[in-house]
Amino acid sequence: MSEQMTYILSEISKQNPLHGKKLKKTLSALKDYEQIADHVIDKYSALLKKQGRTIDYGIDCYLKMINDVTYESVQFIQSGKYTSTSFEEVNKRVYGNPEIMEYYMHGLIMSTVLWRHHYHIYNFFVNTFPKYTKDVKRYLEIGGGHGLFVSEAMRILPKDAAIDLVDISQSSINMAKGLIDSNRVNYILHDVYKYDKDKTYDFVTMGEVLEHVEDPLGLLKKIKSLLKDTGTAYITTPTNAPAIDHIYLFNNVQEIRDLIHKAGFEIKDELVLPTEDMTEEEANRTKTTLLYAAFIK
Amino acid sequence: MNQNEILAECNKIFIDQLDNPSIVLKRETTAADIDEWDSLNHIQIIVAIEKRFKIRFTSSEIQNFKSVGDMCDAIAKKVTA
Repeated sequence: MSEQMTYILSEISKQNPLHGKKLKKTLSALKDYEQIADHVIDKYSALLKKQGRTIDYGIDCYLKMINDVTYESVQFIQSGKYTSTSFEEVNKRVYGNPEIMEYYMHGLIMSTVLWRHHYHIYNFFVNTFPKYTKDVKRYLEIGGGHGLFVSEAMRILPKDAAIDLVDISQSSINMAKGLIDSNRVNYILHDVYKYDKDKTYDFVTMGEVLEHVEDPLGLLKKIKSLLKDTGTAYITTPTNAPAIDHIYLFNNVQEIRDLIHKAGFEIKDELVLPTEDMTEEEANRTKTTLLYAAFIK
Repeated sequence: MNQNEILAECNKIFIDQLDNPSIVLKRETTAADIDEWDSLNHIQIIVAIEKRFKIRFTSSEIQNFKSVGDMCDAIAKKVTA
């Protein structure tokens, strides 16, 4: 493991030994981990440097996010529900709260190299996306978050492809701007349900957004309306994943597939990732998080 | 319920959740002393403690659990309140 990742894991273990122990167990088994983790952390470190910060800030944010996830997980096991169920509630609690958004976005980008399922989903996107990019002229990412996926898409897409990023949070857009550091991306602060463009897109990416809305079917239909007939979308969303801003609970992967089909899409490539060492059936039974990703047309 | 009784109940919960009958908890016990105790089964342990003692921890209480003694103190405050 690189010096950089060794430092990150050692600091996490010092500050949260229980979590450090879990990370050491899961990360040691990942293929090509060192090279990919370094690529992501180098990108993120460049952003921190511009902000006059060090990786210690990212570690601190990540651990705050872990505290939130731990508390939300306890509540979820006790009640079988997420703690918030309306968009209005999480908009006030999270998206409209710059202090929380700040550590949440930094924590999430760190999770790309610290959570096995986020690491795999990142690789799935980077490795499968090129199959669909040949004729892409217009690319849209909805809920760009920290900007890592847009930055990778920009690297893979044809050089003349126009790139739009729509997000409801100014904090997310600010972070994505800093991470991407290119004037090629058009940043749009907007509610995607109300977002209308004259021209449609060849490709739409929407990573981990469906669980943040009250009406995921409506959102999938909105994507369908934003896509050209030949267009493709890349969607990810988790099942049983308590978090401070998750409101729509998918109980299993089939519920997600059913919704995708109901919105008029076909699934072309998909990946189901249990977050722990267990099968999909065990994860459903024990209500443990699974992350689902699909390229759909 | 006194501290020794709370510790004994927690010991039963740890044995059950971590599936290790040889666990003997002390107040000073930390994650470093029990191999199987990590952040994933820590959540299950907290849930089991909350059910057993019919209490609910706050987010900041959970964050401050650094040892078994911290957990026992938080339980004691709630069951005697």
